[in-house]
Amino acid sequence: MKKVVNIPLGSQHISLLEPIRFQFTTENEKIIEVGADVGFVHRGIEKACSETFEWKKVGYVVARVCGLCAITHSLSYTLAVERLLGYEANERIKYLRMLMVELDRIHSHMLCLAHVSENAGFEAMFMQIMADRELVMDIQEAISGNRVQFDYIAIGGVNRDVTPELVNMIHKNLDELRPKIDDLMERFSNNWSLSLKYKGVGVLTLDEAYIYNALGPLARASGLKTDVRAESSDFPYEDVGYEMIFESSGDIYARNMVRLREIINSITMCENIIDNLPTGEIIEKVKGKPEGEVVVRVEAPRGELFYLVKGSRKNFLDRVRIKTPTFSAIPAMMEVFKGSEYADAPAILASFDPCMSCTAK
Amino acid sequence: MIKAMMQAFTNLFKPVHTVKYPFEEDVVLPKDYRGLIEYSEDDCIFCDKCEKACPPKSIVFYQHPDGSKEYKYNAWLCIYCGECVRACPKPGEALWQSEKKPLSATKEQDVNNEWFVWQRAAAESRENHAAMKKAAKEKKRQEKES
Repeated sequence: MKKVVNIPLGSQHISLLEPIRFQFTTENEKIIEVGADVGFVHRGIEKACSETFEWKKVGYVVARVCGLCAITHSLSYTLAVERLLGYEANERIKYLRMLMVELDRIHSHMLCLAHVSENAGFEAMFMQIMADRELVMDIQEAISGNRVQFDYIAIGGVNRDVTPELVNMIHKNLDELRPKIDDLMERFSNNWSLSLKYKGVGVLTLDEAYIYNALGPLARASGLKTDVRAESSDFPYEDVGYEMIFESSGDIYARNMVRLREIINSITMCENIIDNLPTGEIIEKVKGKPEGEVVVRVEAPRGELFYLVKGSRKNFLDRVRIKTPTFSAIPAMMEVFKGSEYADAPAILASFDPCMSCTAK
Repeated sequence: MIKAMMQAFTNLFKPVHTVKYPFEEDVVLPKDYRGLIEYSEDDCIFCDKCEKACPPKSIVFYQHPDGSKEYKYNAWLCIYCGECVRACPKPGEALWQSEKKPLSATKEQDVNNEWFVWQRAAAESRENHAAMKKAAKEKKRQEKES
């Protein structure tokens, strides 16, 4: 007779990076039902954005929603406010913003890959990827002046310019990084612990991805062609060599491959941006106060980041609504867990690259 | 597989990437690192612009009854964004961003409590000053009428 057992995963667990709680109902070792609770790191940021901080300062507040994609959050908010004020940034500002977002994507994907290999029992690989990730972190620190909290994007432009020495440094570090990623690509496709073990585990089919509204690398690994970079026209991504990357199998292996190939694509884009920086002012004065309601979508490393900003010509905004990629992808995640082994759950979860501090905000 | 094992083995003999931070102070900061905010009170014109621009409110001005002002900067509340420097009418003279690494506070310094006391006192001083000004204005108006 089959026996049904409830096993919780989280909110504190050795394989989890951030607090999330899953309640698995398992039959023998197979997961049949999943419940999720994500609100462990709620900080009331949305409320603070409309009551404690004035609209000019909110960009710095939302940057603290997440440590990994800080730049995407402040960029989304800034884009929303700029649209309310009727301002459009010049080409140089757009390119510099794009550069930071792509660098962010590289290091975020590398962190995810490091955790995936750690969950495969490959501690040495984890350390190696984290050490290589420093190359990108160094670039970001040199550009923005801080390692994690960049505070780089301001309303009306960016706070700092890229100097010729910086350009050389970026080229040097990215040239150093590229062979390492190629090497990782080989490891992730040929090494038994990282490739064969992960093939066919945690599968999200194309239909499921479509029905459950999967986003970002999770959707692209299933073959769902969705990417805000291709869908919106906020940034000239086509000019810098963007190409959409997708796989078809939808398992952990496919997600790793999507991330690795996206890193390579992002490195190419960064090099193109640096080589073809247009001239112009880096910051322009923007006048007025935000009035009206606007929706902005930006592709964060984990998928589509959605911002709704509503203002009525006051110092304080009426509403700032943040919908993060992990929050939107939770139904798809829960679907993946169903039917897989309980022992695979930590590995599957790591392959989603969940960001709980984004989700609970 | 063998290649990965070989690399893991050779990594054992490579130099370490990490630094024993508080004991080894050779952290190389990049040029133009966003460090501590520094100021010179003699050059300040007390316009309050930095206070208004500061997102975490780590610069607070105290209003003396005679009209003069005094300010304090909380380096531990500061997020080193540089908004105050951009807002300052005399950047580089009265207020500037250094490349020094911010230090951590000790328990003996009692940073938080001291700061709360200062914040409350500053808010109160402003209210008192505003009330005083209003009363003086009222008095003037009455004198004019009579």
